[in-house]
Amino acid sequence: MKPQGLEIITVALDSRGAEGAGEWIRAATPEHPSLIDVEHRVAALYNMVNVPTGVWIDEGGRVVRPNEVAFVDNRWIDYTKTDMTRYVAGLRDWVVNGAASAFALTEAELRRRMALPTPAQALAAANFRLGQYLHAQGHWEDAIPCFKQAQAFHPESWCYKRQAWALSDAEKYYGTSFKKEVEALGGKPYYAPLDLPSVG
Amino acid sequence: MSYSSATVIYAARRSAVANALHDGQDLWLLPEDLERVSGWELTPEGVCREGLCVPVPPGKESFVSRRGTETWVNLSQLARLLDQLVVASPKHGVWFFGDSPRELARPLTSLVAPDFTLPDLDGRLYTLSHFRGRKVFLLTWGSW
Repeated sequence: MKPQGLEIITVALDSRGAEGAGEWIRAATPEHPSLIDVEHRVAALYNMVNVPTGVWIDEGGRVVRPNEVAFVDNRWIDYTKTDMTRYVAGLRDWVVNGAASAFALTEAELRRRMALPTPAQALAAANFRLGQYLHAQGHWEDAIPCFKQAQAFHPESWCYKRQAWALSDAEKYYGTSFKKEVEALGGKPYYAPLDLPSVG
Repeated sequence: MSYSSATVIYAARRSAVANALHDGQDLWLLPEDLERVSGWELTPEGVCREGLCVPVPPGKESFVSRRGTETWVNLSQLARLLDQLVVASPKHGVWFFGDSPRELARPLTSLVAPDFTLPDLDGRLYTLSHFRGRKVFLLTWGSW
């Protein structure tokens, strides 16, 4: 999926770095920059709470569409509950039509959709970073309370949950699992539903 | 209060301090270490950085303390006054100073995509803003 005139940049949020993301990247043999973000910095900068998350950025470096679930097909429709082909079609439409595309959000709409970090979320971010540092230093058991704090202060972030669970035995140390947590949603969407114009 | 070494992560930069004092979440540093790890300098006007000075408040709020001939500055207390976040693992001697919600929000409210530089698998560095002049589809993912 590389429409003309579009630069695709992927970022793997992965505390284990190449050890975690490397084999996936090698298997995909991507032609676009495939970056590794050990500290989850991009998630912090853009206030992302899940993956995959897509952001559209125009030629001037301005955000055109902020954080949205961004699968390229409907493999995960049970989670997305949205026809992702419409998202990809929208991306192509924007690449061709730029600011005139119905998919390019107005500034007011952009601001409405953009979630700014709350004090609790900032505290979550700090705890997550401390946990990552302790984990990287080999103090993985002492990292767990920090990760739990991060999850408690920002419960909407699946990144904080799933990354922490993946770094140890989730059942043993967090008393949960991804499957259990998704079941606990009880029909509430795992991803924020896409809000796309009906054209395109 | 006890003396120990400390690792301080301030403005995303990590520094080692050989001689620090700590009391719970509070981290006290000598002025030379304070300046090296955080850029804040103890002056007669208060603690200053980049033209901004924070006057030393009196009493319990104070972040400056004298012990014998030495002067110590409480970086944790300074951070609280600046609405900065501090989380610590005293057991491992690690202090992490995080951005305030306001600082975290600032790049987003500008509507300019927050910039970053990250490596690929070969260690080659890429900077988002170097792609100006082209449309960019930024996509994050996780193997977890």
